[in-house]
Amino acid sequence: MSVWSEEVQERARAIVARYPEKRSAIMPLLYLAMSVNGYLTDEGMEEVARWVDLTPAQVLSVASFYSMYKRERTGKYLVSCCTSISCMLAGGDDVLAAMEDESGVPDGETDEEGLLTVEHVECIGSCGGAVAVQVNYELIEGVTPEKGRALVRWLKEARPEVVNTDEMQTLFGSRTSFDWAVKEEGGAVGPYPAFQPLGTVRGGDE
Amino acid sequence: MGIVKDLLKGLAVTGRTMIGTITGRELVTRPYPHVKREKPQRFHGRHVLNRYPDGMEKCIGCELCAGACPAECIYVRGKENDIDNPVSPGERFGYVYEINMLRCIFCGLCVEACPTEAITMTHLFEMSTTNREDGIYTKDELLMSPDGKVPHMFPDDPLADLGELDTADGWVRATAPGGRAAYQGVRMWAGTPGVGDWSPEPSQEERDRRSGDG
Amino acid sequence: MTTEREMVDTVTITVDGVEHQVPAGELLIKAAQDKGTYIPRFCWHERMAPVGMCRMCLVEIETPRGPALVPACTTPVNDGMVVDTKGATVAKAQEAVLEYLLINHPLDCPVCDKGGECPLQDQAMSHGPGESRFVEFKRTFEKPISISELVLLDRERCILCARCTRFSEEVSGDPLIEFIDRGNHVQVNTFPDEPFRSYFSGNTVQICPVGALTAKPYRFRARPWDLEKVESSSLFDTAHPRIEIHTSHDVVLRFTGVDNDATNHGWLSDKARFGFQYISSDDRVLVPLVRQDGEHVEAEWNEALQHAADRLGMIKDESGGEALAVLGGAQGTNEDAYALSRFARQVLGTNNVDARMDDALASHFLAATVDRARINDLDTADTIVLWGPDLKEEHPTLYLRARRAAQDLGVELVVVHPRANGLDDRAGHKITYRPGGGFALLEAFGRGDHPEFDAAVNGKKVVALVGMTDLADGPKLPEAVAAYLRSKAASCKILPLNSRGNTYGALDMGLAPDLLPGRVALDSESAGRLAGHWGQIPARPGRDTRGILEAVVAGEIRGLVLVGADPVRDVPDSALVAEAFEAAEFVVSIDTFVHDSNRSADVILPAATLSEKDGTVTNVEGRVQRVNQIRRPPGQTRTDWAILEDLSALIGSPMGLTSAETITKEIAEVAPVYAGVSWDLLEWDHRDGVVLPIEGPAPLTHIPVMLEGHGAPQAEFTLHAARVMYDDGVRLRHSPALRKLAPGAIACINPADAPKLGAREGARVRLVTRQGEGEFDVVLDEGTPSGVVYVPLNQRGGVSLGTDPVVRVTVVT
Repeated sequence: MSVWSEEVQERARAIVARYPEKRSAIMPLLYLAMSVNGYLTDEGMEEVARWVDLTPAQVLSVASFYSMYKRERTGKYLVSCCTSISCMLAGGDDVLAAMEDESGVPDGETDEEGLLTVEHVECIGSCGGAVAVQVNYELIEGVTPEKGRALVRWLKEARPEVVNTDEMQTLFGSRTSFDWAVKEEGGAVGPYPAFQPLGTVRGGDE
Repeated sequence: MGIVKDLLKGLAVTGRTMIGTITGRELVTRPYPHVKREKPQRFHGRHVLNRYPDGMEKCIGCELCAGACPAECIYVRGKENDIDNPVSPGERFGYVYEINMLRCIFCGLCVEACPTEAITMTHLFEMSTTNREDGIYTKDELLMSPDGKVPHMFPDDPLADLGELDTADGWVRATAPGGRAAYQGVRMWAGTPGVGDWSPEPSQEERDRRSGDG
Repeated sequence: MTTEREMVDTVTITVDGVEHQVPAGELLIKAAQDKGTYIPRFCWHERMAPVGMCRMCLVEIETPRGPALVPACTTPVNDGMVVDTKGATVAKAQEAVLEYLLINHPLDCPVCDKGGECPLQDQAMSHGPGESRFVEFKRTFEKPISISELVLLDRERCILCARCTRFSEEVSGDPLIEFIDRGNHVQVNTFPDEPFRSYFSGNTVQICPVGALTAKPYRFRARPWDLEKVESSSLFDTAHPRIEIHTSHDVVLRFTGVDNDATNHGWLSDKARFGFQYISSDDRVLVPLVRQDGEHVEAEWNEALQHAADRLGMIKDESGGEALAVLGGAQGTNEDAYALSRFARQVLGTNNVDARMDDALASHFLAATVDRARINDLDTADTIVLWGPDLKEEHPTLYLRARRAAQDLGVELVVVHPRANGLDDRAGHKITYRPGGGFALLEAFGRGDHPEFDAAVNGKKVVALVGMTDLADGPKLPEAVAAYLRSKAASCKILPLNSRGNTYGALDMGLAPDLLPGRVALDSESAGRLAGHWGQIPARPGRDTRGILEAVVAGEIRGLVLVGADPVRDVPDSALVAEAFEAAEFVVSIDTFVHDSNRSADVILPAATLSEKDGTVTNVEGRVQRVNQIRRPPGQTRTDWAILEDLSALIGSPMGLTSAETITKEIAEVAPVYAGVSWDLLEWDHRDGVVLPIEGPAPLTHIPVMLEGHGAPQAEFTLHAARVMYDDGVRLRHSPALRKLAPGAIACINPADAPKLGAREGARVRLVTRQGEGEFDVVLDEGTPSGVVYVPLNQRGGVSLGTDPVVRVTVVT
């Protein structure tokens, strides 16, 4: 008696089949559950528990450990500003403050409209291009407080369906680090980590 | 010869005391209970259960007093506070509190053990009763009323000195944290049982000066 | 076990300058503890795997690179290891750990139930720095939250040792509490709206090293320093786990588990832990009651006893001893059971005695099976075969032991059961069959239809846990299963299961129509041997419970003595019981409460219960242990044996029993397998009890026989009626904390069957069998296979549906 549609269940079966132990599938299944509701609902976690033969408490334990599993509804755009050491030295806290100020959304919260969520994150691996900011996990490097404000204004006004690293980097970024990161060429369509089986990337499954 | 001298010496004492008593210059006996001797500051008298200034009971029913009591004369039972209508701050309050005064040796260890200064001693010492049952003081008799007055078992008794009941013993202050040198000059908790606060702890020099030793 | 222990290699370690020989590979903390050096700890628990969470057990060892601080709980000993547990470096490290642990731990010790027996409090005094340098606010949470009907959680006090989460995952197998969040936000909690509904939740309260988990029934009831304690055994579990009874001012306030290698390893089921409230219940019968004009009126002891003695004596004189019968005796001590057995035989002159309530295995099989297993045999077997009740529901101690064997010790577990079973997740093989189809399945095994079962059993060292799986297959199936396994396995040890209190002790005392004390079959020879002690007793076996009830209905039995028995609730054929009680001429009940079975008894004599009497009890493996008195029997209650002694004197055949201890002595003389049992032995040499017989072979060994059974029932729905942990039994009914945990009158059906029946969750259905009918609330349950209706037995509002598995289901609403 799944709360998921047949299509989602099909994806879940494929995920579980990848692992020798059922419980190993818990993390990708949590992303899947998140892509269904936009965030992790209690029902979603209970469903994951059924798929991997754990108790909901054990699933919650995993889900609450990782910050990328959102247990509250996020906005359409999840703006994450790095404040770990390199970015902090390059002015990450100022960028975050500027974006909070421009959006009117305090750190970790979502605006009333459900458009923007602003949060600080720990190191996202772009120290060479500090300050690093992500929108729906699509990276922009070399962000300044002014460019941060501009980014927030752009998101509010343009409201793009798909956010794309290359586009945003051109508009709001400056200094970049090595270009070895795996990019989703299609860009991200929602505030979820973008990888194939979940259908959260434009062009999704083909 | 020696006998007569000694006799006269003795009679002189009697005569002097007699005259002294009549004139009031040298009083040995006192018309108790109409006149009472002033008790030492640290006198251990009857216990009271105190309240906070807001009327909450201080006792949390932890039974540390009962555990410390060498005469095993204290019986306490805790209970969970009703969250909407609490008796004491926090989760727990003293639901039953009884002291068997017939067994109590007035050592004051209960006062020292109490983590909330809920139990203190007063200067009241007249607790004679006509039956053993009345020797067991229950919470109703021990707990001060919200106006800061302490109930007396027999308020109409000619012996009852309600003033003594309102006087806390100074010993509390000497042994509790309030008596430590570190607290010298710091205002501390209740001056009379339950309500208000202590006047600052004086320094040793000041004490000596007051008592005339210095 | 000892021989294995001796074969273990030892290594030499130096602890605080003293050399010790310790088993190789043992954890340092355990090795040091066994040699008398206590290393402080919070997270490490002897019965669970180490995690190294709390860092309190830091000690200094010499390494090639110089001295190093290591946690003693995750460090195995090595040969030549040099350990310092008390030096300045270690002391400083331990002080630092405690200072850290106390950063967030509130100092509400005077309010906290753990205060006074708290490892954190104790070790802060013995190993702490005394002062903290931290002045910051402590983290706060809502105080306390209720995570189940029995347990409260105060997250402020938690030091994140993971004892509770590990217990629920590793030991009891229901991980319903977990660490939530990360970093300095970590807390222990349940999933929202999914309470910690575990049958073993109380253990987490006992092992919590702080006051984070506390028990509701004990909340604010007393402090540790005003508790009186005595060790005893719980009778809520036939393994008789060791408990410590704690009272204050003569009121029983809690039971705690006592670590015992032989049985429970310190763990208790919640029923055994919290099932104490009935002792202080206001509903206890405290004075003798005599029925006059249809009403019970209070009476003096001598009146009540005289009345009972007169009527029993009269029936005996008029119709002989065969017109009298005794039911019960399984809830008391061996001494009570012995007195009852002797009372029946010597005073009443009847062999119509039975401690089983027509729902148990054959008396000879239960009491004296060949190759009876010990509980510890579970750990060393190749295969455990469980074909019997759900251990989690009925035998919680055995459940934990079997789970441990299968999970940690590599023992293969085979479960044969009609529906979901508590051990399924640890079972190598699970074989499901339709209720009533047990014999058919056994035939299929014989034909080789289940090769995986054969592979697990044939030629292996097997421990067979056999008992009444449900009412449908009857008491013959377990014996047939045991016989089958004996024929296939290389060696087969058998543990025949029965779930009522001290049944094994009662049968050992001869409370069965065909047994005499000491596992002796009743015949003229054995009866003659007893004559020296008991005088002439009838030598022909009497009737069992069913036979007794039928004879009462037929008018052949006129008088009944009930001792701690509630046949109306316990005997499956409730119609027969009702008829029998209607027909009985005179009923005496020795009991702690008025209940359905003695509501119309002519005389009720108030009895003392556990914690109010001394004695011995015998558990499922035949282990005799002491139970101890700590509390005055309330009111005018008396021990069973004392009541029976007075009755015997008034009937004119005094037994001469003077005290529980002298009865134990008499048992040792009279009952062959009990030879050598004495209180001294159990109190000094064998505190964990002794497995019988101590001296010489048992006089009776019963070899299980392959009995013929019936074929599988052909029906759309078959009924699986089985006992569950929480039911409407007399003692649980008077224990408020546990009473509300009973599932109630429910019928579980598979969700796939629901549309067929037109039933939904919460609907009311009428179940009709050949022997009974009643209405139940539907619960949709994946664990119940399609075509099976599962009904927990003995629930409030429920009725007994009898033993026939064919059931007709109709939806009422």
